[in-house]
Amino acid sequence: MANTHALPAELTIYTVGETGPKWLAWLDGGGDERLPVDASAVAEVDAAGVQLLLSLANALRRRDRELELVDPSPVLAAACAALGAGALIDAMPPIGA
Amino acid sequence: MPTHADDLSYIAEAMPVFISEAEEQLASLEQLLLQLEDTPDDRDLLDALFRCAHTVKGSAGVFGLDRVVAFTHHVETLLDRLREGAFSLTPSLGTLLLQSTDHVRALVRQAQSDETESEGEGAARAAIVARLQAASGETAAAALVAPEAPAAASGNPRRWHVSIRFDADTFRHGLDPLAVLNYLRGIGAIPRLVCDTAAVPALDGFDPESCHLGFEFSLDTDAPREQIEQAFSFVRDDCVLHLIEPGATAQDFATLLAAMPDQPRLGELLVSVGAISHEQLMQGLDQQTDQMAAGHDALLGQVLQQSAGVSPKVVAAAVQKQRQRDGTASEDTGFIRVHADRLDEVINLLGELVIAGAGASLLARQTRQRNLIEANQQITRLIEGIRNSTLQLRMVPIGETFARFRRVVRDTAAELGKDVALEIVGGDTELDKAVVERIADPLMHLVRNALDHGLEAAADRVAAGKSAQGKLTLSACHESGSILIRIIDNGRGIQREKVLQRAWDRGLVEQGVVPPEADILKLIFEPGFSTAEKVTNLSGRGVGMDVVRRNIEALRGSVELQSEPGRGSCIEIRLPLTLAIIDGFLVGVGSSKFIFPLDAVVEVIASRSTATAVDAQGRGCVELRGALLPVVDIRALYALDSPAPERSSVVVLRSGGRRYGVLVDALLGQHQTVIKPLGLMLRSLRGVSGSSILGTGEVALIFDAASLGQLAAQPHSAAHGASRAPTDFQNGAHSTTQGQRS
Repeated sequence: MANTHALPAELTIYTVGETGPKWLAWLDGGGDERLPVDASAVAEVDAAGVQLLLSLANALRRRDRELELVDPSPVLAAACAALGAGALIDAMPPIGA
Repeated sequence: MPTHADDLSYIAEAMPVFISEAEEQLASLEQLLLQLEDTPDDRDLLDALFRCAHTVKGSAGVFGLDRVVAFTHHVETLLDRLREGAFSLTPSLGTLLLQSTDHVRALVRQAQSDETESEGEGAARAAIVARLQAASGETAAAALVAPEAPAAASGNPRRWHVSIRFDADTFRHGLDPLAVLNYLRGIGAIPRLVCDTAAVPALDGFDPESCHLGFEFSLDTDAPREQIEQAFSFVRDDCVLHLIEPGATAQDFATLLAAMPDQPRLGELLVSVGAISHEQLMQGLDQQTDQMAAGHDALLGQVLQQSAGVSPKVVAAAVQKQRQRDGTASEDTGFIRVHADRLDEVINLLGELVIAGAGASLLARQTRQRNLIEANQQITRLIEGIRNSTLQLRMVPIGETFARFRRVVRDTAAELGKDVALEIVGGDTELDKAVVERIADPLMHLVRNALDHGLEAAADRVAAGKSAQGKLTLSACHESGSILIRIIDNGRGIQREKVLQRAWDRGLVEQGVVPPEADILKLIFEPGFSTAEKVTNLSGRGVGMDVVRRNIEALRGSVELQSEPGRGSCIEIRLPLTLAIIDGFLVGVGSSKFIFPLDAVVEVIASRSTATAVDAQGRGCVELRGALLPVVDIRALYALDSPAPERSSVVVLRSGGRRYGVLVDALLGQHQTVIKPLGLMLRSLRGVSGSSILGTGEVALIFDAASLGQLAAQPHSAAHGASRAPTDFQNGAHSTTQGQRS
């Protein structure tokens, strides 16, 4: 069950309107401190997409949890770094460590 | 996931809005340019000009209209230089900018119809671009040395601090902060960048399409300030940007903090990005707290004064942005776009409501129940209120139309080599939108006429002892229920002998016959007339003036010409204020009912004995307070066959500065009059301008004060032929106007 959360291939202004509400369900899951999310599929991302991730991270933090982006695609990693949101990508140590 | 087809359909839907808004911006740009020519140093005008060009460029960018964007960019650059004070507006520069505006307009229209550009057009565009570039000094060495950037060409990267906070609508305007940052990395390096992630709301209750992003970062670059600012050009209206130059002090950052919300947190951001040290931050914040005691506004002012090294532009930009957000400077708030058809629908329904209300009031009176009567009176009052407000919606100030003439006068006068000043008076006079639209062309023709024939060349004027500069005045005002538009020039006036000669030549008047003085000038409005020695591009073909008069009369208006040879001419156009609903005064003559526009009624003399002697045509005189008042008897004028009562009343009307009276049987009081057009077969009836349905279902004819007066004043034979047997009016008018919109 833990790894069924995944980011969509497109995370841009065109899709954030639909994607955001879907993620609300992830918040209610309860459970572990970390919420792992598979980020390997992201092929298109813009500032709106990164902002949505930040918003998700903030919401989790309020619930004393942390967002863990697993296996971030290069595109996503580059965008996060460019926007000063590198914390999203490199905060988490590798799984299992 | 949106497809290309979705994008295309979005563009197709939104394009008309873009086009009409772009046209508005361009019209605004033109007006501002013309104003700027009078006051070349007006800072506000220069800023507004830049914003217009910038807005057009930005919106065109959203729609991917590359040609428009590329061309407008050059216009924007030139306007930017102007507002920086690099140089001042000269007449030739003004002309170049006006031509460029025309070109942008053409490009926008091309985009609308998706045309491709012809080779000739492409070459023309390149030519204008070259001139714009030359004017901006935008060739090769783009680095204009700004006073605050001494090491512009040194090649050593310098560290700037950039603080940028994007507005909520950034994404909705099609902008992407990521793209901006990537672009900046193209002109320099960003060693440290911090995003204000805490400002992004948590997912619950968060609108993902609103932008809450803000960044603090250093930018290492050797590019000059202009180039850095250029990188933000597309987003400048969608963010709060502070660009702090190298060598800034803690004071500068204090200023930055003062202009931003949530200061302590931002201070931490500045520290984390390495712009200032923690101690400096504390110092800055302490100072602010002290100054806070002295009052908030004083704070900003004092801090501004102290920060000597900060570029005034940074601070000014921030403060202005603040003010804009406070909503004090916006011109666009408070307006709603409404489709004209919807408004017409509402007004039509309103007309029906007025009539139905009148019917209900009548029935209520018949029941003699006081409560019911009062309730209906209240309803009538409310309907009147709605009526006035709704008709107001269709009113537009004529100044907008007049303003278009500034450009025409400027260009035409230049073309003809004449020096003409245009004066506009009463531009805020309002009239119905439909009337405004239809009067624009006739006015244009009359203005061109005045420029072409009326006003002389400077040399001729001086020789005649006049000032070298001619004056053309467009004025508008309300007068007894009509709107009066005047076109006045102080030119050479109209030579009556020439007019007469031409009329003889064209066979309009029998050779040798000299009509009365007042009628000579009217000949100008006859078809086929023209006194121009040569036909110019603008006028002189002899098809102008009669078409002008016809267009004006089609609006139920009238046009008159006055002139003094050597001194100038004045053309007076009278137009009705509204075409839909007016306040009327109801009267009865025999079994017929008539309505006078209340605005034209001066006073009423009730119930005097019918001692007035009238001639066969119904004309006579009455004494009113020691003066003679010409009166006309409706019964005789229109040959109504009911017998005259013993006592009759006189309604005194005012039209065109003259007064006359009308004899009627009964005065029936004020009446909200919904104007229905006359049926086709009654259109040529003179003196009557429309009909209306009363609460009883009867039809009343509405008199036009001006033409009724003229009809009554005419010599016997002419008027007699024009009046018609009225008995069929009521039914005829009613059946042909059913279902017609007013």
